[in-house]
Amino acid sequence: MYKSEKKTIFNVLAIYLSSTLLLIATLFTSYYFYQQEQLIHNEKEILKTHSLELEDELLTLHQDSTENYKYPRFKNFKSAIYDVDKELIFSTLHEDVKSLDTEFFINNDKSYYILPIKPYYLGAAYMVIEKDTTPVDFLSDLIAIAIVVVLITIFTSLFLVKLVLKPLRENLHLLDNFIKDTTHELNTPITTILANIETLDTKNCDEKSLRKFQRIKIASLNISNLYQDLVYLLLNHKASFKNEDLNISNILNERVQYFTIMANAKKLAFDLNIQDDVVFYADKNKYERLIDNILSNSIKYTKKSTTITVNLTSSTLSMTDEGKGMTQNEIDSIYEKYRRFDNIQGGFGIGYSIIKSIADEYKIKIIIDSEINKGTKVTLKW
Amino acid sequence: MVKIVLVLIFWLTMLNADSFEKNCLECHTNKFQLSMFMKKYTLKFSSEKNIKKALFKYLKNPSYKKSVLPFGYLNKFGIKNETILDDDELKDMVDIYYDKFNVKSRIY
Repeated sequence: MYKSEKKTIFNVLAIYLSSTLLLIATLFTSYYFYQQEQLIHNEKEILKTHSLELEDELLTLHQDSTENYKYPRFKNFKSAIYDVDKELIFSTLHEDVKSLDTEFFINNDKSYYILPIKPYYLGAAYMVIEKDTTPVDFLSDLIAIAIVVVLITIFTSLFLVKLVLKPLRENLHLLDNFIKDTTHELNTPITTILANIETLDTKNCDEKSLRKFQRIKIASLNISNLYQDLVYLLLNHKASFKNEDLNISNILNERVQYFTIMANAKKLAFDLNIQDDVVFYADKNKYERLIDNILSNSIKYTKKSTTITVNLTSSTLSMTDEGKGMTQNEIDSIYEKYRRFDNIQGGFGIGYSIIKSIADEYKIKIIIDSEINKGTKVTLKW
Repeated sequence: MVKIVLVLIFWLTMLNADSFEKNCLECHTNKFQLSMFMKKYTLKFSSEKNIKKALFKYLKNPSYKKSVLPFGYLNKFGIKNETILDDDELKDMVDIYYDKFNVKSRIY
């Protein structure tokens, strides 16, 4: 899966999931509060009925002409009566209520309902009804349903994103296959051209033919370079794998030499500050790919008759050109495969993708400093 | 000393009881009637403080408007005469009446 594809999937998923989850959360929270309201409403209704029962009993009791009054007791609820100054008259409650100002409240799994009454039977100005709260455990069910809904949403989102990105994936696969086939077909002619160029005798050539010959050589080198990149990509970065202590000072000198013909064509000069015998543990082919890609990019994008500065120390390698430079947005997306900023120059836009892949493999940090119309400096730090 | 205090309290209680007998029960011989009055006051005024306040006000200056008794009863017996007791004595009598006949203490 490509980086850009991953990013798109992540972004779409993030937007889709966050909006859907927000909706689900809103719905479930509303439902939860609605259920709570219903519970309170039902409890209140039951308690109200009980309060009417108590009021009837108090009325009957008040009208009794007996010496003493037996306070009414009920099986399914407890009660208390308070006078107009909120002093307790009589109570069968489990615990006294602290305030008579709240009409309904739940405390310690008991529901309380407070009702003012008039006239004051037995002096009662307030009745307090207490009953066990009806246990309704809908929260755990709600959470379980929410988890299921969220999971379904995640799977649906993934399916939708994949469905939407399918044409894009197919096109990218098509491009990959095309490059794969092209690379395969290039192998034989490139080998033949390069082998024959090396054996050509240029001693008897006139100046005009020599220039043509140089152009053919540069073009062949370009094709060879591109071929190497494509092979690296197509073999999933496993073209060769033999890590060893490399004298990168020598390798760098060789590669600069290799690109001299191309540099000469643009009348470029090399300013080389290469420390001797710098050693780095890596695969030689991969390290050459790394240098070749940075160097060929510098040559490609620098202006004519300028200088390319190459510095090598024991822990850094930098190459500076005097090209048109890049914006920060271009630098940020430079590692994306097939990303090209200049269609005039050839190439597939895979150079920096390869650089990044090799640098990551050997834990090399890439620093790109660029200024528009001044040039670009690429530094490798290990 | 303790004995003297106890004797004094007992004597004062007896004295108060005697005063209640003399000042109230001489006319209101029927205890059921007194109990009924208290129920009427409780039904209308609810708390001890309010009942005592209303009783004091009525006894100090009785009127049809202030009475809690039903119209038929008032029509038949009329309202009582204004008290001849001073405020302190009247307050004591109201306290004794409430202690003896209040509804709250009879609920069990």
